Amino acid sequence: MTRDPEILILGAGPAGLGAALALATCGVEALIVDSGSAAGGQVYRPLPGAFEPGDASGLGPDYREGERQRRLLADSGAGTAFGRLVWSIGTDLRVDALGPEGPESWRPKGIVAAAGATERVVPFPGWTLPGVMGLAAATILLKSQCVLPGERVLVAGCGPLLFAVANAIRKGGGQVVAVADLAGPGAWLHALPALLGQPRDLLRGASWMARLRAQGVPLLFRHGVREARAAGAGLEVSLGAVDAAGRPIPSASEKTLEADSLVVGHGLIPATEAVRLLGAEVVFDADAGGWVPRLDRDQRSSRAGLYAAGDGAGVRGAAAAFLAGRIAGMTAALDLGRIDAGHHARATAPLRRRLARARRFGRAMARLMAQRPGQVDGIAGDTVVCRCEDVTRAEVEAALERGAADVNQLKSWTRCGMGPCQGRMCGDTVGQIVAARTGSREAAGAWTARAPLRPLGVDALAGDFDYADIPLPAAAPL
Amino acid sequence: MPLRIANQVRRGPAVTLWVDGQALDAFAGESLAAALLAAGRRALRQSSRAGTPRGVFCMMGACQECLVRVDGKRALACQVAVCDGMRVETGAAG
Amino acid sequence: MAQIPVGEPYDAAVVGAGVMGATTALFLARGGMRCALIDAGGVCREASGVNAGTLTLHMTRAALIPYAMRGWEMWKAAPDWLGGDPGVTVTDGLSLAFTAQEAALLEARVEARRAQGAPIEIIATSRARAIEPGLTDRFRLAAHCPMDGYVTANLTGMAYRRALVEAGVRLYENAPVTGIEAGDGGFRLAMAGAAPRARRLVLASGVWLEEMLAWFGLRIRIKALVNQLIVTERLRPVMRSVLGVASGLLSLKQFANGTVLIGGGWQGKGDRARRTTEIVPDNLIGNLRLARYVVPALAETRIVRSWLGFEAETDDALPIAGPLGGIPEAYVIGCVHSGYMSGPYFGRLLAQNILGQAPELPLFDADRLLVAPSCT
Repeated sequence: MTRDPEILILGAGPAGLGAALALATCGVEALIVDSGSAAGGQVYRPLPGAFEPGDASGLGPDYREGERQRRLLADSGAGTAFGRLVWSIGTDLRVDALGPEGPESWRPKGIVAAAGATERVVPFPGWTLPGVMGLAAATILLKSQCVLPGERVLVAGCGPLLFAVANAIRKGGGQVVAVADLAGPGAWLHALPALLGQPRDLLRGASWMARLRAQGVPLLFRHGVREARAAGAGLEVSLGAVDAAGRPIPSASEKTLEADSLVVGHGLIPATEAVRLLGAEVVFDADAGGWVPRLDRDQRSSRAGLYAAGDGAGVRGAAAAFLAGRIAGMTAALDLGRIDAGHHARATAPLRRRLARARRFGRAMARLMAQRPGQVDGIAGDTVVCRCEDVTRAEVEAALERGAADVNQLKSWTRCGMGPCQGRMCGDTVGQIVAARTGSREAAGAWTARAPLRPLGVDALAGDFDYADIPLPAAAPL
Repeated sequence: MPLRIANQVRRGPAVTLWVDGQALDAFAGESLAAALLAAGRRALRQSSRAGTPRGVFCMMGACQECLVRVDGKRALACQVAVCDGMRVETGAAG
Repeated sequence: MAQIPVGEPYDAAVVGAGVMGATTALFLARGGMRCALIDAGGVCREASGVNAGTLTLHMTRAALIPYAMRGWEMWKAAPDWLGGDPGVTVTDGLSLAFTAQEAALLEARVEARRAQGAPIEIIATSRARAIEPGLTDRFRLAAHCPMDGYVTANLTGMAYRRALVEAGVRLYENAPVTGIEAGDGGFRLAMAGAAPRARRLVLASGVWLEEMLAWFGLRIRIKALVNQLIVTERLRPVMRSVLGVASGLLSLKQFANGTVLIGGGWQGKGDRARRTTEIVPDNLIGNLRLARYVVPALAETRIVRSWLGFEAETDDALPIAGPLGGIPEAYVIGCVHSGYMSGPYFGRLLAQNILGQAPELPLFDADRLLVAPSCT
């Protein structure tokens, strides 16, 4: 077990890294804990340890930025604990993790939650088939593993990842059967003023789209996946037009395409389990991806000693995450009494200015991939909503009909969200289905967060022990 | 067509895994999920209630769909780096 | 649903929609009373919905064995009187001892429970392993009871809710009661948005009884145990019985869907006033070790979730169930050790009492637990 850090940072993506760097400049002992093998998170994910960059330009600017950030972290002197799955966080701020050497725990004075996001995929018939995977999954395969998600790939969903993934598949030598975007081409124009704040990113986005068009890849705007079916070793995917709310237009004709793989994603959902486990206040913000912690301008949550930053505090992208992480780190140092208010103000003022710009861009991007109200409406009754437990929409509706009043009661009655993904894949969809009855996401509620934060092997957690090593409490009364 | 993208990286040393008793070529350090996909092994398990086939879905350790047995222990293929001689059992039918 | 004229008091208001309150309300309604059931949350969403669902005499306090046996019969017959399907499974129950001290404890406890009529017997270790092939071979002594099993506790609320609605009980859900006034001919309940009146009052609010009894100037200490539970993902069948240990610190069962539920009353932390609970990681690991020790095949699976529930316990760890002394037409029910198993029976017993029928078994007077008001 390592010594207790003063501040423990959950997640080694850009936000966690920003926090670690800021804390290091203030002389605060910080420990960054992550399940991965190196820093970078999902956006700046490193290559596997045994890989060497070949043609580095092929790996793109995110790889180079990731390498830069990993060097900064290494030079900062911040402690790191990789390969650790954090499974419990107590209100006494005790953090329990399972690592290669078994269980570990720390008692920091403060925690920075920088857990990032998971991907939203709104269910459609066939979304559970092998060969259907998330846009974020494809991104990881392409960028970190340098593996194509398929030979002929259909890319569908919404948001900036669509064109990034399609472009990376082309660049890697794969074929993009089509790109189906829920948004109309106008949506990008609407976002333009905000996007102009980050001209480099805007240029990247524009060039992706232009390149795909030039290469003759069909770009289907205002289209969504109606159904995927297994066909031989590959898939047959029906696409159809959707309205502005993402609802399938029944009268519109369907287009059926064949592909090896369907890569589909509908935006990102902030990972707030740690924040909710600690009982910090969360609010629902659709434009930020869903439930997010309520934060003050210095990244403090409603719970003393808990800070949050990055996509886990509301989807705003990697640039905003890094800056918000640095502010969170400075604030934690301030609250520990390691710097004074003046130092904090001076250090954070330039960060805030840059953050405001990055957030405008991030917000515009997040809007492009926010859940559209009609998407969930359009899910058919026999479509599986909860992948783990194979619970269909009709079963969910039946429980609501019988009186289930919020997502947690629904879960008790149907097992929807009770499986090993712990509701991560279905939570947003189910929340929306329940909200259609209760009137709001707030009334529908959010899953109660509980340990373990991820499934844990019994053997790994129990460890090697004899009977005498079981700390038996006193016997129950007779 | 091979799914591994050429030129971008120099991969780790070539290794052999044993997947459901069959040899599968991969490169040291790459994600087991990627190695399985690259070898065309897409169905990795069956869903617990309806018994429908499932495979790699999120690649980030959240969805649990790529749960397999690695050297006898349950593990997510997307969270495991391959090494030579690794024994993998999937739950795919057939 | 019964139509209540405006201003017309209910025949009975039951505060607390756990198994005990809900069963009381159900049988009062079936006995012809117009009944309101009020809960700060939903039907069976606290202890009654989140407990391990174990139906075992191995963990029941000896004095409560006759009640628990009748509770077991009621659960077994749940389709007849409750309807719905809360997933009741009848199976063998084993209790184990691993050390000489535990073996002595087990023998003494078996004896005490047998004296109260429990069909428990000490059996040969070989027979225990024949009953439960998934068992470790490292135990010294085993006791067996054929009267065992479990309910899928998370389905309790769904079954009860339907039965209550069909019986015409008026449900007030998500309706915290903030005060109760006893007056001429009945009680008035203070709640946001409603102020129902009732001729009779039943307090069935579990760990929140202490606070409600205090509204009537009755001081009874009620401890809130915070029991932890752990569940695994689905795995191949590795056990078929309900397993426990002599000390009562383990309850272990595998549901038909393959998940294994691990409990036994290992303590977490909680604050009943704020309704917050959290696990104590070392206790989770301890409970897990014990489970894995008892059924070695659990080593191959993963745990997916833990949760906690409040269990109410009086100073003598025996129930309070019956009329509240000094307050006409007020009743209380709760604090039943192994209360989930015995709950339906206690609820029916109290309903019989309120309906003027002679109860089959004695109730538990609350007066014995009254503590002198403090000087503050």
